[in-house]
Amino acid sequence: MRHDDITDAIGNTPLVRIDPAVHGLRNIDLYAKLELLNPFGSVKDRAAWQMARPLLAGAPADATLVELSSGNTAKALALLAGMHGLPFKSVTNRMKVPEIKELLLLLGAEIDELPGQSECLDPTDADDPLTQMYRQVSAEDGEFLHTDQYFNERNVEAHLHGTGPEIIKDLDGRAPDYFIACVGTAGSSTGVARALRQHDPDVEVIGLVGAKSDFIPGIRTIDEVQQVGLFDPGVYDAVETITSDDAIDGLLTLVRRCGILTGPTGGGAFVGAVRVLRTLDPLLTSRKTAVFIVCDRVESYLSYVRDRRPEVFGRPPRRNSTRTLTDAEVAAAPALDARAAQCWIASTNALVVDLRSPYAFQALHIPGSLNIVDEVFADLLHAGLPISRHRPVLLVCPVGEKSARYAALLRRMGHPDVQSLAGGVIAWRDAGLELVR
Amino acid sequence: MLSLTPKIDPTIQSLLDDRDFLGELLDALGSPLGLILPQRATRNVHTFRETYRRHRLTGRLYYAHKANRSSAILRELAAGDAGVDVASLGELQHALSAGFTPGRIVATGPKNREFLWLAARAGVTVSVDSADELAELAGIVAGHRLPRVPVSLRLSGFASAGVRVLTRRSRFGTPAGDLADLLDLLEKRADQVELTGVAYHLDTIGLPEKAVALESCLTALDECRARGLRPRSLDIGGGFGVNYLADGAEWERWTSELGQAVLGRRPPLTWEGHGYGLRAEGGTLRGNLALYPAYRPVAGAAYLDRLLGTPAPERGRPLGELLLDHMYDLDVEPGRALLDQCGLVVARVIASDNDRIRLDLNARDVSLEEHGVQMDPVVIARTGDRRPGPAGVHLLGNLCLEADLITRRKVFLPVVPRPGDLLAFVNTAGYFMDFSATNALHQPVARKVAVYRSGGVRRWCLDEQYWPVHPRQETP
Repeated sequence: MRHDDITDAIGNTPLVRIDPAVHGLRNIDLYAKLELLNPFGSVKDRAAWQMARPLLAGAPADATLVELSSGNTAKALALLAGMHGLPFKSVTNRMKVPEIKELLLLLGAEIDELPGQSECLDPTDADDPLTQMYRQVSAEDGEFLHTDQYFNERNVEAHLHGTGPEIIKDLDGRAPDYFIACVGTAGSSTGVARALRQHDPDVEVIGLVGAKSDFIPGIRTIDEVQQVGLFDPGVYDAVETITSDDAIDGLLTLVRRCGILTGPTGGGAFVGAVRVLRTLDPLLTSRKTAVFIVCDRVESYLSYVRDRRPEVFGRPPRRNSTRTLTDAEVAAAPALDARAAQCWIASTNALVVDLRSPYAFQALHIPGSLNIVDEVFADLLHAGLPISRHRPVLLVCPVGEKSARYAALLRRMGHPDVQSLAGGVIAWRDAGLELVR
Repeated sequence: MLSLTPKIDPTIQSLLDDRDFLGELLDALGSPLGLILPQRATRNVHTFRETYRRHRLTGRLYYAHKANRSSAILRELAAGDAGVDVASLGELQHALSAGFTPGRIVATGPKNREFLWLAARAGVTVSVDSADELAELAGIVAGHRLPRVPVSLRLSGFASAGVRVLTRRSRFGTPAGDLADLLDLLEKRADQVELTGVAYHLDTIGLPEKAVALESCLTALDECRARGLRPRSLDIGGGFGVNYLADGAEWERWTSELGQAVLGRRPPLTWEGHGYGLRAEGGTLRGNLALYPAYRPVAGAAYLDRLLGTPAPERGRPLGELLLDHMYDLDVEPGRALLDQCGLVVARVIASDNDRIRLDLNARDVSLEEHGVQMDPVVIARTGDRRPGPAGVHLLGNLCLEADLITRRKVFLPVVPRPGDLLAFVNTAGYFMDFSATNALHQPVARKVAVYRSGGVRRWCLDEQYWPVHPRQETP
């Protein structure tokens, strides 16, 4: 397959059957439309290209492409803009996945995060931040090219002419009986549904939205979809709710059992699909087909999964960790108060190790001390003692708690002469002893 | 029935259950009546102190006086270890008279010359918003040969790197980028003013904005240190919030239904179909819900805890640890959050006509609408049976104005109140009780009563009569 341009690789994604042993449905063949295999990594490549193509074609040289997006649309648009030598700016109020922020910055995007809700209701605050953003984007003539994905009909068309017909082609010219999709901009669900129904009006379409107080990247909650111009409740035979827990369950199943590297949205679509289909399955007398969309890839959601399911990343306990200390060991840690410590340093030439952050250390520290920030110190200790047994050590932290733990650990690791500064550098300061910059 | 059940503490609940007590108070003092529980404010201070202890931090908790005019609350807090943040000459006088020593007062907000003079004369810390204000204060100190005045510099307009975190423009504070000029001036007026630290206040519930501001202030403090100044504190203002509702699911259901009502998919939930900032455009919901997030799972001291645990955007370490590493005092100025469950407003029902309940109180007496807080009042029936609800009613005030609705929301009550019954708006001591109460149309402003426990007994007195010196306290 040879292409002149990466955009030629958008679309024509595979439709892959899910092993019945995984989903457990007896009368339904379940297929995943693998939009994660688009060149920029998600279903949004199609809409982004469809929306941006006419804007980029006649774009003035000083124009900026702009979109309200917290993820995949921004990613695709940033790449498309970059290919045309234009900057891309993403405005967002819900970018909660740190990897995506970093990825967008790497792609050269500029990101504006909108202000939070005000604590004291301000009657002079005439408009919401989004409206202000729209105003800014439309006011300055020609400077901003706004793809407006939540209202742009070309978003729907990308799927009406692309995703939908591809599904029919891969099912040998038949539309599936059920189509299940998560609703974000409503572009893919609406466009695919329209294409399928043109082929067979009986297709059942199920939209999946997030539970209200929950967060699943890429999809909207039941309230948020009401703010989407492309959302039409008439498109869906049913709108069901899924949770972030569902999304992660599905993600793990597809990744670990099906070899499909899906992100949480695809995981949620799988769990939502199986949940809906499981109620229909026992009543069926003939074979049926169902399709769901896998929107994007897992790699960008490691922190999302880690926050919600830390056990997924379970590792064996590390050696030489302060977490393995007993209360008795910590209580027995040798400590000196500020004045005693000052004399001890002078008489033994002890090495003073300050565990605070480098910024704080640079601002004020005990003369002659060395700064190893506690996280780094912890890492060093996993591998063994980083300090000679022949040199006395005074450990210093803000109030003497962390340093006591590390003193106990160093002692356990065989350091013969370690002390913790009781009360920490704050006690040192309060005793009127010298601190330098 | 779309209830928004208020969160009610046991102390307030026991008051609500004592119908005779409330009835007698209202008969004696009139409707509406504000009830203040000063001792509860002290408990709220302790809750904040717990968060301080967890993060090993020290510093001053300044109660933001503007939240409530009550003398009882102020005097009660003066008896403890809290400080007070005053925003006018009158508030400063009030704080001094309530027993706050100058070291426990910080003067903030817009300041006229009289306010600056009294602050300087008393030796309270002045939170300076601009170079002009700093120059004026120094001039007053020099002109009146006053001792050096402690000042903290309030900064605003913080820049974030990488992802640009936008913030609403504020009327207060000096742009962080102008700090060098401000410090030049401060050094020039070193005989008149002495730097204690820097401050910010952002009107937002968004943690990312506050994280950017807090970290930027640490950088600013470092700049002060580099010049040989000795700042000790970082004042991060308030905005920690209150959770007003008992049940998050009710709030979610009501806000969803409001959206549906605005889209015309269900009957209106508000007077004249008001949308609270939401509007329908071509079948799509636009605008922003201009309401206080009445259900907030993380508020008050818990919000502060969350903020201190938030990693600094640049340095990565949690903000609380950075403060501790630098040995700075953390100062906060919570208003509303220190008044959580500190009071209620009670009013008498004048008339009950179908879905309209007319009350002997007006919107300004509780100002729920002005502050965008949605929660149901509690019906306190006097004698006799009541028609069982649920009843969707509109609450109308006592002013001869179309606009005088206690809330534009249709309120669903479990029973239909009758004339003579009482309605209690709980947890309205913070901000809502007298932030904007006036004598408009010669309607009386609510009298304020302090309700407290002393010697194991519930007692009450007029707010201005309350002092935290209870007769039995001194008895060994």
